[in-house]
Amino acid sequence: MVAAKWGIANIYASYNNIMITLTDVTGAETLAKATGGMVVKQAKDESSPYAAQKAAEKIAEAAREKDIIGIHVRVRAPGGNKSASPGPGAQAAIRALARAGLKIGRIEDVTPIPHDGTKKKGGRRGRRV
Amino acid sequence: MRSIRIPADRVGTLIGKSGETKKILEKASGIKLKIDTEGEVTFNEDAKGVDPLMALKMMDVIKAVGRGFNPDKAMRLLDDDQYFEPIDLKDVVGDKSNQLERIKGRLIGTDGKTRQIIEDLTRCYMSIYGNTVSLIGDSVGLPVAKHAIELILNGSEHSTVYHYLEGQRPRLRIAEMGFDL
Repeated sequence: MVAAKWGIANIYASYNNIMITLTDVTGAETLAKATGGMVVKQAKDESSPYAAQKAAEKIAEAAREKDIIGIHVRVRAPGGNKSASPGPGAQAAIRALARAGLKIGRIEDVTPIPHDGTKKKGGRRGRRV
Repeated sequence: MRSIRIPADRVGTLIGKSGETKKILEKASGIKLKIDTEGEVTFNEDAKGVDPLMALKMMDVIKAVGRGFNPDKAMRLLDDDQYFEPIDLKDVVGDKSNQLERIKGRLIGTDGKTRQIIEDLTRCYMSIYGNTVSLIGDSVGLPVAKHAIELILNGSEHSTVYHYLEGQRPRLRIAEMGFDL
């Protein structure tokens, strides 16, 4: 029997998509990845909790094949001068990973926070629709 | 260990009368909270028996209380498929206090009519506090409510927004019955 292995699930949840990358604990070696677009047909559903759930199930499947029993989670929103709160998919993805039988270790927020950077897009008068 | 800052005048609400609210929150989530008078809330998510997902939700609950929600309503965030969405009004209207006041008035409406309609038609909770407007709702209603708020912020007339919300009604109804996507 192989030793119990842990991995890291890097979850990037924006309002347009969700990307989950499964790596080993060093974070340097990618084991699997899944995105919203890989699991749903319509572009508008890519960031939905349903897509997140499906993507997470894919990741869990890959993790099982690689004998990974538990994962640490790194959640990330777009950050920088964009939205700092993760999209609706993040929670759904973590829940699906836990449901799939993987142990959840630490959950960390790795959203990049600027120590003051560039101007937010949209201009002075904001986004005009 | 995680910490969040909430406005000092929301600390009383988070703790409740002789610590009642705090106790209810701790019981529901299994996480012990440490709250100081300046509004610094810390909790240890590595303690034994703490569900890491619950810790993530707890962050949202505390943020929601800090953003003006009644703790009873904020507790809804501990359920599945409930999300918290703060919107900063300063991003939209700038720093002028009279503009902020005007836009807040437009969001609330006469006797809270606009807020009431948005809340009822999307099954969200809405709170306007300081320079933010925040929403609590599920994955179907929340985007609709958010779009409605953006319409108001960008200057749409109220009737336009009500029409939009009415137009979304069938879709929300279908999702309510459980036929998602």
